Amino acid sequence: MNAAILQALDELLRSPRQVAERARAGGDLRALFIASVSAIIMGAGVFGATLATSRGGAQLLYSGVKLPFALIATLLLVVPAFHAIASGLGRPLSFSGMIGLTLAAAGRAALVLSALSPLIWLSFDRGLTYHPGVLLATACYAVAGVAALGIVLRGIGFDGRGFVIVGLFGAVVMSTGGQTAWMLRPFLGRPADASVPFLRGREGSLFDALELSMKQSLDAGPGARYESR
Amino acid sequence: MTDQSFPTLSSICSSSGAATALPGTQVVSESAPEQAPQALVQELSDPRRDLTRLASGLGFAALYGLALGARLGGASLLRHALASSAGLAAVGVLGMPALFVLLALVNAPVSPAAMLSVGARALGSAGFVLAGLAPSAALLSVSIESATAAAFVAQGGLLLSGGIGLYQLVSSVRRLLTGLSFGLRMKSTALLLAFCVFAVLLACRVWCALPILQVGR
Repeated sequence: MNAAILQALDELLRSPRQVAERARAGGDLRALFIASVSAIIMGAGVFGATLATSRGGAQLLYSGVKLPFALIATLLLVVPAFHAIASGLGRPLSFSGMIGLTLAAAGRAALVLSALSPLIWLSFDRGLTYHPGVLLATACYAVAGVAALGIVLRGIGFDGRGFVIVGLFGAVVMSTGGQTAWMLRPFLGRPADASVPFLRGREGSLFDALELSMKQSLDAGPGARYESR
Repeated sequence: MTDQSFPTLSSICSSSGAATALPGTQVVSESAPEQAPQALVQELSDPRRDLTRLASGLGFAALYGLALGARLGGASLLRHALASSAGLAAVGVLGMPALFVLLALVNAPVSPAAMLSVGARALGSAGFVLAGLAPSAALLSVSIESATAAAFVAQGGLLLSGGIGLYQLVSSVRRLLTGLSFGLRMKSTALLLAFCVFAVLLACRVWCALPILQVGR
């Protein structure tokens, strides 16, 4: 079984097509499930802890726990939507296949995040500040997301309809995942905070922050400075 | 590949050209191709199954309503569930018979049973998509503070499900019309497009009753 899990981990990185086909075919997906969940816990955990190196202390542990949790919670919330959208647009998969596909995609993304962790650590070590650090982390999430898309697209079908399905699913993932992560802040830890909270106060939502940013930009015009909440 | 438990486009329409039809229907074409417009569509459809599918779709849509209603709680849960289903039900009850009459007026070879089957599948799929979005909608509607942003998220889900339902409906009806003359197909397509506009307006009118969408009123 251990060999099968290691092989599945290797396939997550090297053979997205093979992983997608296996998930689509159904059957015994235990090795793939275990490998994907392990990758999520380890990869996202390492990345979360690395983000917290800007702050250090208890934040390392908090972020290392919260980021994998955010990823898994998002998956739980969006898989039914993925199943419904794919079925509605004529690309049905069995529910277990759908879970396998999304887990594998998330596992691959987490492995990519873990690979990007040294870059994050080095950047903070060289004096990267809070806001540029947030932007760098966002860029890392984008790279990991593209890697995950490779598996999902191959599972759904690499054609126009497949792109539409993945695009709609991506919109659901971004809104749900963004809000889940927002609720579990902080991951970096504000430099100005005296102590490190496990969870920050509610302070609106991701959408509220985006809305506020847009309003501020429109009201103040180009060059307006965004005041972080 | 799949343990299909709910209608999809692929389950409605096979890809075998003019012979395609809804499951449970037989296209009995005349011998000469030019007589295709007069092809008879004989239904072996099961109205009970279609009505069950329709009811399932409305029930699924209510799940999305419940998710939205969790923002305010209490009686709002029920109001959202009812209004969410009512949007789909209105399109089914008011729109589908009208579409059948209009298609019959241009002599398109469709029957009430076929339209019931197509409509039930489309509404069932729209409801299924709403149910799939319900977990995400519950998280977002409860955790977002801004009423405008919450309304935007709710609208997004309704738009997505309605779009998928209409896509299924249009695709299925167009498959039913395969093999007809160019003029008849154009007329039918124009009617379908007009129906889509009507369905969107009607559903929006009903969904406006959702308390979460009544921002600034």
